[in-house]
Amino acid sequence: MDDDLSLDLFGDDEPDTEPETEPETPPGEAEGAPQPPGPKVWSVSQVNRAVRGLLEDSVEPLWIGGEVGGWTRSRAGHRYFTLKDDRAQLRCVMFAREAELLPTDPAEGTQVRVFGELALYEARGEYQLVVRRLEGEGAEGLWRLAFEKLRAKLEAEGLLDAQLKRPLPAYPARVGVVTSLEGAALRDIVSVLDRRAPWTRVVVRGTRVQGEGASLEIASAIRALAESGLADVIIVGRGGGSVEDLWAFNEEPVARAMAESPVPVVSAVGHEVDVTISDLVADLRAPTPSAAAEAVVPDSQAVLIGLRRVPGQLGRALRGVSDRRRSLIEGRLASLARTMVRRFGPPRQAMDRAMNRLERATRATAQERRRRLGTVAARLEALSPLATLHRGYSVAHAPDGRILRRVADFPVDTTFELRVLDGTVAAKATGPLRREPGS
Amino acid sequence: MTDAKQDKTSLEERLRRLDEILARMESDDVSLEDALRLFEEGVSHVREAERVLSTAELRVEELLTSGETRPLESDEG
Repeated sequence: MDDDLSLDLFGDDEPDTEPETEPETPPGEAEGAPQPPGPKVWSVSQVNRAVRGLLEDSVEPLWIGGEVGGWTRSRAGHRYFTLKDDRAQLRCVMFAREAELLPTDPAEGTQVRVFGELALYEARGEYQLVVRRLEGEGAEGLWRLAFEKLRAKLEAEGLLDAQLKRPLPAYPARVGVVTSLEGAALRDIVSVLDRRAPWTRVVVRGTRVQGEGASLEIASAIRALAESGLADVIIVGRGGGSVEDLWAFNEEPVARAMAESPVPVVSAVGHEVDVTISDLVADLRAPTPSAAAEAVVPDSQAVLIGLRRVPGQLGRALRGVSDRRRSLIEGRLASLARTMVRRFGPPRQAMDRAMNRLERATRATAQERRRRLGTVAARLEALSPLATLHRGYSVAHAPDGRILRRVADFPVDTTFELRVLDGTVAAKATGPLRREPGS
Repeated sequence: MTDAKQDKTSLEERLRRLDEILARMESDDVSLEDALRLFEEGVSHVREAERVLSTAELRVEELLTSGETRPLESDEG
């Protein structure tokens, strides 16, 4: 290239036709001034500008391979570095807009390839490569490096611990999905859920899944779903793609949102060969979106088969309970019987003893009764009128039964009856004899 | 949006409750009255769960920024 840069190449150029790009032109040097005799003298600005035009116009953007050295980052986010091989170096600049897309800053000495255009910085007379893209050498280069860096960081924080993995709900009523609304991933997930678990409510939060800022969008979609309380489990994913396409799922915002989710998260990114940071942080890693859907819901056929067995199980359990109750009651009765025997002896003996006591008691009562009956009879006898007759008295009474007690009860010729000890005789009054004085 | 006044108990709750019921009925300290009650409850869960399984239709909704959801038509079957 150096050979092409001889000054005669721009001999017939009009160096001052682009006034807008020459802030360094010394104001005193008016172009129209008459030239002094002698060789034509160019100003430094004119030369640098001329070389710049030559360089920038004649060299197409190109890829250059080399080793990174002196990597620095300006406050504005631009990266400055040199690209070296064993004999030469080239100054490079990567402006913030492109540099922000780098998965990570390359370490000193990293073999990279860069794509960009050569440019000349007129103020210093230095040329440099304005880098548009920078890739690590090897299959995945910088991506791999960035991946390993973030993985080590999250691992150190314990976010990848197996103990943090939460079990998925067995029969989620609501499945949250974070993916692109237009992607095949969503269609795959919905069709699997429809086939396996049609009772499910699917709540989708659409998001971009690749490109600049995608990881922030995915992260906020995860948070929105988690905060809505409308998901019992969340599938986060997209279909397969290049390392670059999948990159959002290797970035920290997504990893953080997954780790913070209050409900279990299933990562379903691309094909199974690509392991992403999301896969490592999620509670479960599914190789594809369809596999994620299969993992979060049970198969309705299996559920149905299980359900149909339940009535039988319930019946057996109920029978078991009643059997246990019966043997419990029988056991209690038996122990009650044992207690009785212990307290009262064998039943036969107890009966005999009881009969003896009863007999004795009965006998005693009978004697007492007989004794008391004797005295009562004697007293009754003493009161009976028959006893008076026994002693020789008799009783006179009229035929109508009236007892005749006084003399006046016996007018002359009165007939009456006289009751004596062993019967009654007829009698007749012949006249009064005497009246007792004072009666 | 289409579920009218039917029992809102989710399938998950029913299946979990069935596991509980079976475990309870197989424990030693359940009374016969409780066991009968559990049996009846279990049978009703089975019946309802079967109904859900055989009649359910997948609902797909989109969660909007407002926090509301709206049905998402699947353009392709």
